[in-house]
Amino acid sequence: MKGMAAALWTEGLKAGRSKMPWLTGLGISLAPLVGGLFMMILKDPQWARRFGLITTKAQIRGGAADWPAYFGLLAQAVAVGGAIVFGLVAIWVFGREYSDRTVTDLLALPTSRGAIVGAKFVVIASWSAALTALVYALGLGIGAAIGLPGWSIGLAIDAAGRLGATAALTIALVSPFAWAASAGRGYLPPIGAMFLAIFLSQVIAALGWGAYFPWSVPALSSGVAGPDAQHVEAGSYLLVALTGAAGMAGTLAWWRFADQT
Amino acid sequence: MDNAITTAGLTKGYGDRMAVDRLSLRVGRGEIYGFLGLNGAGKTTTIRMLLGMLRPTAGVARILGVQAHPGAGGLWSRVGYLVETPHAYPELTVRQNLEVIRRLRRVADSKAVERTMERLALDPYADRRAGTLSLGNAQRLGLAKALLHEPELLILDEPANGLDPAGVVEVRELLLGLAQERGVTVFMSSHILSEVARLATRIGVIHHGRLIEELESAALEGRRRRWLVVDARDRRAARAALSNAGFAVGPDEDGPLELTDPRAVAGPDDVARLLVGAGVPPTRLGVEQEDLETHFLRLVGAEKGVRR
Repeated sequence: MKGMAAALWTEGLKAGRSKMPWLTGLGISLAPLVGGLFMMILKDPQWARRFGLITTKAQIRGGAADWPAYFGLLAQAVAVGGAIVFGLVAIWVFGREYSDRTVTDLLALPTSRGAIVGAKFVVIASWSAALTALVYALGLGIGAAIGLPGWSIGLAIDAAGRLGATAALTIALVSPFAWAASAGRGYLPPIGAMFLAIFLSQVIAALGWGAYFPWSVPALSSGVAGPDAQHVEAGSYLLVALTGAAGMAGTLAWWRFADQT
Repeated sequence: MDNAITTAGLTKGYGDRMAVDRLSLRVGRGEIYGFLGLNGAGKTTTIRMLLGMLRPTAGVARILGVQAHPGAGGLWSRVGYLVETPHAYPELTVRQNLEVIRRLRRVADSKAVERTMERLALDPYADRRAGTLSLGNAQRLGLAKALLHEPELLILDEPANGLDPAGVVEVRELLLGLAQERGVTVFMSSHILSEVARLATRIGVIHHGRLIEELESAALEGRRRRWLVVDARDRRAARAALSNAGFAVGPDEDGPLELTDPRAVAGPDDVARLLVGAGVPPTRLGVEQEDLETHFLRLVGAEKGVRR
């Protein structure tokens, strides 16, 4: 792809100069913060009642307030929150060219359209990975501040791997929204598609077919439904990979072959 | 002849609506070609096909000898363009916007950005965010993006849009300079004939997707309609006298008389003599010429509500 380096440089500049890194950073930070709050409540319900965080009637069930539980929460937050935040990143990176009507400037250049689309996906993936790293770092800080028990280096490394794997699955699934942003020429169609996918992922997982619907897979594999709930098989991961590849291929083909009015 | 742009039977249809209908035109190297049409005539659709952004339903467009298509990377480094209202990344400064284009255009010379800003008088705004620019300066930024890599061919859609009168003159001189000094070919669309007539060497008129006329700008003068306006204190008598002498006198409503007869246009003195002889000396006598806009509207048959 001709001009990949140039395309990467410009996509990086555009992303870096926008407010989006801050907004998405803020959004994804809610995950470790809320998770931390949960841990505090679990750890000391009396304290939480005294501060009015929960009512006296609240029954806090299940789960210990320790590092394994907190890391588990973070992985689930990346699966569910990431579906929205990473999705918004992808939708912004592609949709903004239509919303700001700058796409025309990208279409007849010595830098190929393929390089521009490729650079956009690289930016989306690295941006989402950075957000995941932020969740992990914040999680470490908050967990230590609360004084969660059960820490070990091995556990932290395991958790990083699990968080990374969940993030990778979630990131792979945003490419269809990039396609929707391009074909729909703006923000609204892909946002609609994203919320439809998230809604369906909940319903389908609840019905027990989650392993066969790509958008249900990251949450299931992160253990959101409990360790013994639904089995995610190799086929489920393959489905995620295929969906991601199809989204990328569709986006590329759209940019390369469709009429750009 | 070595052409910068050749189209043969270029057609773009949406269902049964023809946006561009069998358009065949040639633009020679170094020419400034004015592509004239009303809004919706098919100008922008044509330009998008020339730039490989739209796939023609039929026909081909060849740009600098290469068939226009999205993958023609090498070709696009020789072409600069501006399509419709230019837009820039609002959160980036003018300089950053141009830097983006410099990289994507693979221009190695890092001075190109400064040079282009200077040329388009954008340097005072270099560090302003593009989102805060006035319409005129946004247009200059659009032109700067088209010119940055010093292309052989410029394809410009309504380049004077949004510019103030001084800006219009500036851009006109800039384009003339590029064509005359550097042999740059300019293909520019417009809906204002008088603007195009000052600049273009040749003009093509598109209407409902069809090229309905193509002419040298120099020939434009000869094509404009001319007529003799005559007025007298007694218009009825003057009309009668002129009719008797074999002139077709218009218009029928009240007001000064108009003679389109070439004899009258060429010889107002004869008409004056005739009227004096008939006892109705003229109070006014003058040759008038259709202005360019009226001529254009007449060409495209959109003269409703327009005199003549």
